[in-house]
Amino acid sequence: MSHTAARAVTPRMSLRHRFSLKRFFVGEGPESGPVFLAQRRVYILPSKMGVYFAAMMLVMLLGAVNYNNSLAYALTFLLASVFFIAILHTYRNLLHLRIDVEQAPAVFCGDVAQVPVMLDNRRNAARYAIKLQLHDQQHINIDVAGDQWQRNNVPLRTTQRGQHAVPRLTLETGFPLGLFRAWAYVQRDVSYLVYPAPDQHHRLPDKSSYHLDLQGDRGQGADDFAGLRNYHAGDSLRHIHWKTVARRQGMFTKQFGGDRAVELWLDWDSLPTLDTEARLSRLTRWVLDASAAQVNYGLRLPNVHIPLNTGLIHQQHCLQALALYGLDADAGIS
Amino acid sequence: MNMSGFQQRVKQAKAENLWLLAGLALAFTPHFFRLSLLVILPSIILLCWRLLFELRYLALPSRTVRWLLTFAGIFATWIAFGTLMGRQAGVGLLVIMLCLKLMEMNAQRDVGVVIGLGFFVVITVFLFDQSIFMGIYMLLVVTLLVTALIAFSRDQSVIPQWANLQKAGIILAQALPLALLLFFLFPRIPGPLWSLPTDGAGAGTGLSDSMSPGNISQLSDNDSVAFRVQFDTALPPPQKRYWRGPVFTQFDGRTWSGPYPQRLKNHLSIDSHYQVSGEPSLYTVTLEPHQRRWLFALDLPAIIPADSHLSADYEIIANHPVRQLVRYSMRSFTNYQLAKNDLPDISLYLQLPTESGPRARKLAQQLRQNAADDADFVQIILNYIAEQPFYYTRQPPLLLDDPVDEFLFDRRRGFCEHYASAFVFLMRAAGVPARVVTGYQGGEMNPQSDYFIVRQSDAHAWTEVWLREKGWRRIDPTAVIPAGRIENQQDLARILPEMAETGATPSWLKKIGRQLNFGWDRINHAWNQWVVNYNTQRQQDFLSQILANVGFGNIDWQEMISLLVAGMTLVMAVVAVYLLRPWNRRNQDPAQVAYGRFCQRLSRHGMQRQPTEGPLDFARRAGQQYPQRARDISRITALYERQRYSPYPTHKNLQQLQHAVRNFTL
Repeated sequence: MSHTAARAVTPRMSLRHRFSLKRFFVGEGPESGPVFLAQRRVYILPSKMGVYFAAMMLVMLLGAVNYNNSLAYALTFLLASVFFIAILHTYRNLLHLRIDVEQAPAVFCGDVAQVPVMLDNRRNAARYAIKLQLHDQQHINIDVAGDQWQRNNVPLRTTQRGQHAVPRLTLETGFPLGLFRAWAYVQRDVSYLVYPAPDQHHRLPDKSSYHLDLQGDRGQGADDFAGLRNYHAGDSLRHIHWKTVARRQGMFTKQFGGDRAVELWLDWDSLPTLDTEARLSRLTRWVLDASAAQVNYGLRLPNVHIPLNTGLIHQQHCLQALALYGLDADAGIS
Repeated sequence: MNMSGFQQRVKQAKAENLWLLAGLALAFTPHFFRLSLLVILPSIILLCWRLLFELRYLALPSRTVRWLLTFAGIFATWIAFGTLMGRQAGVGLLVIMLCLKLMEMNAQRDVGVVIGLGFFVVITVFLFDQSIFMGIYMLLVVTLLVTALIAFSRDQSVIPQWANLQKAGIILAQALPLALLLFFLFPRIPGPLWSLPTDGAGAGTGLSDSMSPGNISQLSDNDSVAFRVQFDTALPPPQKRYWRGPVFTQFDGRTWSGPYPQRLKNHLSIDSHYQVSGEPSLYTVTLEPHQRRWLFALDLPAIIPADSHLSADYEIIANHPVRQLVRYSMRSFTNYQLAKNDLPDISLYLQLPTESGPRARKLAQQLRQNAADDADFVQIILNYIAEQPFYYTRQPPLLLDDPVDEFLFDRRRGFCEHYASAFVFLMRAAGVPARVVTGYQGGEMNPQSDYFIVRQSDAHAWTEVWLREKGWRRIDPTAVIPAGRIENQQDLARILPEMAETGATPSWLKKIGRQLNFGWDRINHAWNQWVVNYNTQRQQDFLSQILANVGFGNIDWQEMISLLVAGMTLVMAVVAVYLLRPWNRRNQDPAQVAYGRFCQRLSRHGMQRQPTEGPLDFARRAGQQYPQRARDISRITALYERQRYSPYPTHKNLQQLQHAVRNFTL
């Protein structure tokens, strides 16, 4: 669902809920639509530096009293006023911002997922130095220009395959003076998919588990595109797959062969010596290799059977099956 | 130096550190005029070092070097001031330590600490100077430091630096009303909380606590203001404008000084000792700091201000040296008789050094014999000064061996100190009790306002003579010198007030200069009244007066706090409403707003979109109705659809939509 299609939901909340400490430390819990940061959703407290400045102002006040120095009073009061005004400016830097956390593209376990966060600033003043952080992950700092929206990718390290809920997003800002820290929590009910990490060492065996159709012409014909294989010296230039060359993905030769294309079954049972995760990892690698080689492949897992096919969607289908293998069906696909 | 390369370096430097260095350099500058070179030079070097580091010309010193520099800094301060305590040394130490901190300012936390200490330096500047100029100058420093804070909090954001400065200006402007409320309403606690440092704060001109007429001295040419007076009653006539200061009774042949130990008068009462006639003068004096303890009052004071006491010679002596502007209300009787019948400690006023002035003694005794009584003798001496060729000059010759005789018989040139000294000497030599009184004489009204200005150049010395049955009489021997023997025409008006009008009319340029001068003085006076000297008492008076106007009585500190909290809440609410604009929470999609405007424009021509009608259907229907506009209609609809339902709406697309809707007409 697009963020613009849904109106922000800000349901009425009871007083008890409004002042509950849980809200303060944890946030609102998962929400189904884009989040509008209304007054009650933005929290603000002095930062460490703010506390230091407050202590300093107290010392300055003591000095002013002791020396009965009017300009020292004036300076102390001016700084105290700046301190108070800073509350409003910092608060305002987050207030009335619309945020949506979107579906992150799937990644392999161990990689960093990029969770797209949509920030919609419908005020004509810019907002500066907003820190975006997913739970305890690495943060990014961004500015949002006035009357502007932008999508930023917030990094999320992955450690486990499967379908996971995107953790709570914290928006935090100290702008403009760093004396206060305003923050808000946003948790959308979106999830991200983590494929098993592909096995680094065991690539797809060359031919061992190929179930070859002996009647085929081994891909030498030119009438029916069947896939790609690595380029060998002497291959016809007409059959080179220039697209992958241009993308610097390597040099491949187009294979043609109609029904005689390679058929490859990636089978759970062919790896009986490994434990579950290692098997999944190995199969993930094979899916990628087979897909890159453009062979016609299928996947057999206990309870899952994905028929022979090629293409990106087929690959995703297989990887998803591997990612979710053996996991609770409730963590299913959104 | 390659200019573009340099600009590149400036651009790549950490903005907050550059702002901070600029702020610190400006904050230190006033101190540099009063600190030792031993502190100034290292500070400047360290500031430059940090600047060069920021521009990547230099590395920061290593840890060992930093420690060495720290010890060297402390040592230099100690050498320069002989101590590490006290106001001067403390400031020196703060400045140099802050500069050393710059050598190791790496972590984010350090930047915050240094900016905070920068504000502290500003406070220390105010300990020495609270002038209006310094106030404005320091506001600039504060702006720079706040800008540094903003640049600092922006972290990695890329924003033009002038925008940071602008933001600092906006925040300070919004803080100003709050600061004013706090300044006027925050209950002022009478200090000090702990003992004040005893080292002098340097500058400050005023009367000295001794007088040596023979020494090299020059009459003060200083036009700076000694004090300002606001009269509640009528201004006394010019010949009564004698502002009493230190009184000298002891003479050692060269120097006059006050009696030691000081004799105090425990109470002041208007009784048979101090008889008055006429109405008292009521006025308020705002005295500039002069580092000594005298408070000045119109001759003769009838009350003692708070925190001060009265000497037996009717000097008002503050309990602490006047290091800051003080303000006190006074009452004086300009028509009085003092100690009419009986003079205690009469010997004190007859004391003379045995060796000095043999010729003067002889003259005094001789003339006294010719006089009918003491009063007659006073007149004879005054006539002597008027008739003999005595001159009034600002640059008197040096008097070497016996100042009294040399002045009276050889040189005969001097100013008020010489005449007062010689006159008292003659009186005492003839057995008439007398004393030297110093202070100020005259002053002028600020024609642009309602207060009276007394300047350092109005400093004066005169005498008091005790006459039986008449008491102490003020005699001003300088005043009898005829106009022809006054060297400088400017002094004429001062010494002989009645001659003031006879001087040549000043040129128009001088007139304008005088007016500007009075205008500036008026601003300074207001600054003193409302800022520098706004203290516990004045706050009480000011607030009570305001409240009295709306029908309340005196205000106590709890009420001040309540008023303050109420006022601040109100101001904060106004700023909050202005900043947050809660009614302006544009929850609506701007694309929808634009499309709504488009539909509205069509509906004015009878083209109503049905509730169930999708944008595409509506566009088709409208296009049939207005074929010449069909292209615009379908374009707007397409832009709207793309904006609204595409997962990746772009700002450019929205702008196109808004633009198309704006230009859409039927």
